[in-house]
Amino acid sequence: MDCCGGMDEHDETCTEVKVKDGVDAGTVAAAKRLESENYSAGFVTDIEMDFAPKGLTEDTVRFISAKKEEPDWLLEYRLEAYRRWLTLEEPTWARVNYPKIDYQAYYYYAAPKNSAKYKSLDEVPKEILDTYAKLGIPLREAEVLLGVEGAAETAATAREKPRVAVDAVFDSVSVATTFREELKKAGVIFMSISEAVQEYPDLVKKYLGTVVPATDNFFATLNAAVFSDGTFVYVPKGVRCPMELSTYFRMNAESTGQFERTLIIADEGAYVSYLEGCTAPMRDENQLHAAVVELVALDDAEIKYSTVQNWWPGDENGKGGIYNFVTKRGDCRGARSKISWTQVETGSAITWKYPSCVLRGDDSVGEFYSIAVTNGRQQADTGTKMIHLGKRTKSRIISKGISAGRSDNTYRGLVSVHKKAEGARNFTQCDSLLIGDKCGAHTVPYVENRRADAQLEHEATTTKLSEDQLFYVRQRGIGEEQAVALLVNGFVREVLQELPMEFAVEAQKLLEVSLEGSVG
Amino acid sequence: MSTALKDLIRNPTVAELELVARYAALKADARRERLFEAFAQTGLPGRRAENWRWSDFKTAVGQLDTPKAPPARDPLARDGVSTLRFTPAGFVAPASLPAGLRLLAKEDVQAMGGAEEAPLGALAAALSGTVLVDVSAGAAVHLHMVFQGPGAINAARVVFLLRPGAQLHVSESHLGGAAFSTALVEFTLNKGAHLHRTLYQAGGADEAQAVTALIEQDEGAESVQTVLALGARIARIESRLVHRETGSKATLNAAYLAGAGRHADITTHVRHGAPACTTRQATKGAVLAGGRGVFQGKFLVPRTSGQQTDASMQHNALLLEEGAEVFAKPELEILADDVQCAHGNTSGALDGAQLFYLRQRGIPLAQARAMLTEAFIAEALEGAGELEEVLRHEAQAWLSHVS
Repeated sequence: MDCCGGMDEHDETCTEVKVKDGVDAGTVAAAKRLESENYSAGFVTDIEMDFAPKGLTEDTVRFISAKKEEPDWLLEYRLEAYRRWLTLEEPTWARVNYPKIDYQAYYYYAAPKNSAKYKSLDEVPKEILDTYAKLGIPLREAEVLLGVEGAAETAATAREKPRVAVDAVFDSVSVATTFREELKKAGVIFMSISEAVQEYPDLVKKYLGTVVPATDNFFATLNAAVFSDGTFVYVPKGVRCPMELSTYFRMNAESTGQFERTLIIADEGAYVSYLEGCTAPMRDENQLHAAVVELVALDDAEIKYSTVQNWWPGDENGKGGIYNFVTKRGDCRGARSKISWTQVETGSAITWKYPSCVLRGDDSVGEFYSIAVTNGRQQADTGTKMIHLGKRTKSRIISKGISAGRSDNTYRGLVSVHKKAEGARNFTQCDSLLIGDKCGAHTVPYVENRRADAQLEHEATTTKLSEDQLFYVRQRGIGEEQAVALLVNGFVREVLQELPMEFAVEAQKLLEVSLEGSVG
Repeated sequence: MSTALKDLIRNPTVAELELVARYAALKADARRERLFEAFAQTGLPGRRAENWRWSDFKTAVGQLDTPKAPPARDPLARDGVSTLRFTPAGFVAPASLPAGLRLLAKEDVQAMGGAEEAPLGALAAALSGTVLVDVSAGAAVHLHMVFQGPGAINAARVVFLLRPGAQLHVSESHLGGAAFSTALVEFTLNKGAHLHRTLYQAGGADEAQAVTALIEQDEGAESVQTVLALGARIARIESRLVHRETGSKATLNAAYLAGAGRHADITTHVRHGAPACTTRQATKGAVLAGGRGVFQGKFLVPRTSGQQTDASMQHNALLLEEGAEVFAKPELEILADDVQCAHGNTSGALDGAQLFYLRQRGIPLAQARAMLTEAFIAEALEGAGELEEVLRHEAQAWLSHVS
């Protein structure tokens, strides 16, 4: 060891991070590439903005509601949430530390001037289009059609590629939604939630707040009061959504909080794959992001929800960065429904996020695949809840946490099997890897079983992963540990590779990681 | 009672008021006050405290009346082994003590580290005197301790100091018979000392029991702990262990069997405060309808000092009938990178194929279930040495009684 004058123990003032032997060099390099100095999305778009008055009062709530010309019931919903929020205390149970947030120091609404929703892409200011182009998010359908490689491809090959419809949210408003017409032909409603409130008020009213009620928790209640924009998706009975849907969230304005609300409904037998990407400029201040995502899957429906979260994490000294307090929950309301969460978490100064599944319908399935990488002074407290209510419900949790620098990475999860969840199954595996001796990895799983015929395993017997696959790999002379790694990695990789190109860039970097040398 | 005392605990329950009254009647002492205040911060801990969410003493401890049922029989009692008795009426010393062991019973209170983290331990200390036991180096010393009623409150505290190279085999029977029993047992293991602790717990359906152990280990010290818990209306066996110096080793095994109306909680907290220490932990449980098993394990590996930690935690539980509940939280907090920490947790029913195998050999279902359950929990009792057979016998008796 060369640092600290070759002494064995290096002290707190030493900035060099030692990496123990046995940690895969490619993984160290991959984590290094995710350090904040390599953050490529940190630019600021210079555009004139409309703001709500700074701070949060009942008037702010009325202002947002009026801006969006909302019906009375929604204003009431917001006001009720706001009043409740005033009585709540910020939760402190997560393993994250940050200075007290001054909720009056933020703008709760920020929109590019004259953005009442641009009628066509031609009306969208060039600055915004350039922003998305720079982030690699094509908003022009022609560009999308050609894929990101663009001109090099012929139109014919491009057409065979899966296309992605994008809803682009810039601070508090949705600025563009692509492929709406084509989706409409299939019966799929894909628009910003503000528009949906106007065009499909009954649908929104029927489902809004039914998965994450306005009373759920401090941040969800705040969101219910001030949510600005987000995406609304409704896939009708029996329809397999013809393309991937996505939303790209961009926070741009200074001192602004983003509070988007996403509501996705897959009616009986429907299928939809939805992707979410997030970036923000590099700023010295901390910005607030408190989103709510609600998914509803009816009988035989399936929703796949993928996230590449790359909010600005703050610099290596912990200055700036996004506070990401997100409530995401899916309700497998119908029999044989399925909700699958995939997340790649690399950004944010603080992450507080537990995408969950309420497995209400009989034979419903919940999945959670997560890779969380923390660097610098990042703190991530993330995991999932699988609430088994219906008969023969199944859930699977695969979580990998990689900590580097001086960061802390916590997996916090709950598997709860209720009294009526006959024959429920869960498999959980969480691995942690520490790169260097100044970071932390923590695992806090809660497992509640109220059924004798349930089978719950938390990293119990690796062979349960899939005995057939494991046998297949092992009989080719590969050791058990390696075989498990291969299968877990293979599985996650398979999921990640389903992300379209635009989103796969960050994710691809993570594919190089291995968990050799993991601590538990 | 003065208003100041009444206000110590927010919204006190009947039981908490009774505890405050008990405390007020004792001789004033600054250390006693300090410990009672540590308890009073939470009062009887319940759902609102994260580490007690599944074991709610606040709700479970009602009127502190002497239970109708007598204390359980003591399976660990042996002839020729000196026995310390802790009852609601006070401490009873044995007629003779083995060589190498000195004992001092004091009425006043001794300070306790980390009282806020162990509210029921702090309560035990605040409501009792202190029994100090000093074990010097030499041949292994055997000692037995019994905690039992009858009475309303049984609070006891015993503090062991194992001198360098000392060897202590201590068995403990927590047999209930009081509405609320809380015991604090502390062990300091000096360099190379060896502790062998075997604990049996049983209690009635209207009794609450808490056993808090604080174990600190110096260089090269080793402890092996084996618990068999049958639960009570609510029962918690909590062990908080600190590896203070290099090369210390600990084995923390436990089995719990919870029948109808019984709640058994095994909670452990291990701090790897020095490099190259080892912890092995295996907890097995079996629960019947109307019973609840709780396992909470935590390994804490601090930055720098926790390097080369080797620790593993395993909890496996059987829900033998519908209506049984098992709650588990196997937790790791790791701040050092050159460590091995593993944890595993399973819960479910007996393997149908194994049951079928036994039944088709003519073994009745109830017996087959008992055999498989016994085999399942046996691993957790293996470390009990000469007392392993006794514990296994108790487990068998429980299984034959219920199946």
